[in-house]
Amino acid sequence: MIEVAGLEKRFGSVTAVNGVSFAAGDGRVTGLLGPNGAGKTTTLRMLYGVMRPNAGTISVDGIDASTKPLAAQARVGVLPDVYGLYPRLSAREHIRYFGELQGLSKATLAERTEELFELLDMKHIADRRAAGYSHGERTKVALARALVHQPQNVLLDEPTNGLDVMSTRAVREIIRKLRAEGRCVLFSSHVMQEVSALCDTIVVVAGGRVVANGTPDELRTQGGHENLEDAFVALAGTATGGARR
Amino acid sequence: MTSRRAWRQARVVLVKEFVDSCRDRRALASVLLTVLIGPVITGFMMNRIADRQRAAEEVRIPIVGAQNAPALVEWLRQQSGVEIAPAPGDPEQAVKDQDEYVVAIIPPDFAERFRASKPATIKLVADSARQDTFPQVDRVRRLFAQYNAQIGSLRLVGRGVSPAVATPVLVQEVEVSTTQQRAARLLAVIPLMILLAAFTGSMQIATDATAGERERGSLEALLINPVPRSALAVGKTLAAALTAMLAVAVTAGICAALLRFIPLQEMGMRFRFGMPHFAGMMAAVLPLCLVTSALQSCIASLARSFKEAQSYMGILILAPMLVGVLGTIYPIDNQPWMFGVPMLGQYVLLTNVLGGRAPGPLAFVAAAATCVVAAALLVRVTVSLFRSERIIFGR
Repeated sequence: MIEVAGLEKRFGSVTAVNGVSFAAGDGRVTGLLGPNGAGKTTTLRMLYGVMRPNAGTISVDGIDASTKPLAAQARVGVLPDVYGLYPRLSAREHIRYFGELQGLSKATLAERTEELFELLDMKHIADRRAAGYSHGERTKVALARALVHQPQNVLLDEPTNGLDVMSTRAVREIIRKLRAEGRCVLFSSHVMQEVSALCDTIVVVAGGRVVANGTPDELRTQGGHENLEDAFVALAGTATGGARR
Repeated sequence: MTSRRAWRQARVVLVKEFVDSCRDRRALASVLLTVLIGPVITGFMMNRIADRQRAAEEVRIPIVGAQNAPALVEWLRQQSGVEIAPAPGDPEQAVKDQDEYVVAIIPPDFAERFRASKPATIKLVADSARQDTFPQVDRVRRLFAQYNAQIGSLRLVGRGVSPAVATPVLVQEVEVSTTQQRAARLLAVIPLMILLAAFTGSMQIATDATAGERERGSLEALLINPVPRSALAVGKTLAAALTAMLAVAVTAGICAALLRFIPLQEMGMRFRFGMPHFAGMMAAVLPLCLVTSALQSCIASLARSFKEAQSYMGILILAPMLVGVLGTIYPIDNQPWMFGVPMLGQYVLLTNVLGGRAPGPLAFVAAAATCVVAAALLVRVTVSLFRSERIIFGR
């Protein structure tokens, strides 16, 4: 469960995130939808603790991220914008490194690693170095790394960006599986089909603000269009014009 | 860095960085090369000097007119390492052409003047511009001087005069430095090479784990983990320190091995290098590795790119060189305050250990303590850099 209220982030004179508030519940998939530069990645970065907000509060499973950042981070698994794999380490070593940093015991780690290899169908790359991985394979390693400590909350920054059909399907499968397990899944995207296919709740951001928040059906009525994409353009477009200075 | 969990995480980071950089074959090769090249070149040069010294013990003296002074020639022949050679046609040309480095000419009137106790001339043809054969020519000169003194003494004794009369002043040189110290001055490059190893050894990890990590984009992913920034900085710095220590140990080991092969005895040096010396050198320099790695990690974190970090490393390496160069220009005397200055303290300790006059344990402890304090301060700076979003995201 992630709750965000009045989140703000400024870089010099630019306000990237300007009062974002929303909640992402357990057992639900929440989509952060918005055009490029809307502040999605910055919002997520504040949620997973690598950036500090200038204002606003973040609570992860009831833990205040500003006073107990490490405790909040421990309850989150993240697939970041840039995976940043180490070319000289194998998939197994990547998972082990993050698992050990999360404080998993040796036995738990070994067990989890096998589970993840099975889940993501990546046994064949387990002991190969990351230097030669395809984009899909790199996504799998980054995902496995994010899920190794079985986080209650999973944040995915544009998870299917640049993936082929097979890999995209695999990622969607995992998102549905995480929801079925009762976890809170929050992912950002600018791809309409993706969001409409997966999300229970959609948070539309534009120009650093939340311009709409609701189920896909609610958005259609709010945007005044039967087609979700038209609704999105209508919602995001007006806000962008207002927020950009 | 107060909890045990943070230290455990620092160890995880240390192991990962160490394993990761050991797999970087090229970087590993360049570190090995820089560590090996110094000792090998020095060993080679020392061996050359020893060879020359040995060559000086064996001289070949072509003599023109050997029949004019058979007793002298016979005396020369009996000296160890002396070979009497037949005379060349034109002595001066032979020396000019470098066929011979020295030719002795005994004129026909030698015997006559010798018998009459008048100074009998011997001409030595030599080229003093030739550096390489200087030891040999010098030995030949000393041989003739020795013969001169012997015959002179005999003549005085024959006339009932004590030879001591002919020596109004006897110059006695008192050498203060022990033979080991003189050898250490000649081997002054060894401390410098070991200080350099403390720098070059940690360079690779210090840049790759900080500037490299950010440039690859892996820093953000790493920071998502619930790990205090201090644990990251400590783990990365210690990984760099570990490789610096390995480089220092390898360099010292190679130097020790070389010292066994170099015939120092033949160079007039009584120089021993045993386990106590090795242990002393390790005790002196290992704490410095903490400072070098902490300094490099800190500066590399500040750099905007991997390349920029590498260029800073190139500047940093001038520091030990400066100490080494200054150390040879102004022979460093042991001032207590020097042990409190990282690098200078290690340099003084190293020269003393090599000179066979290791200072008391207090000096080692003081030098190590300042290193630990300096490293801790530098790590604190690195931690604060790791907390800055401007540094993490390279804005």
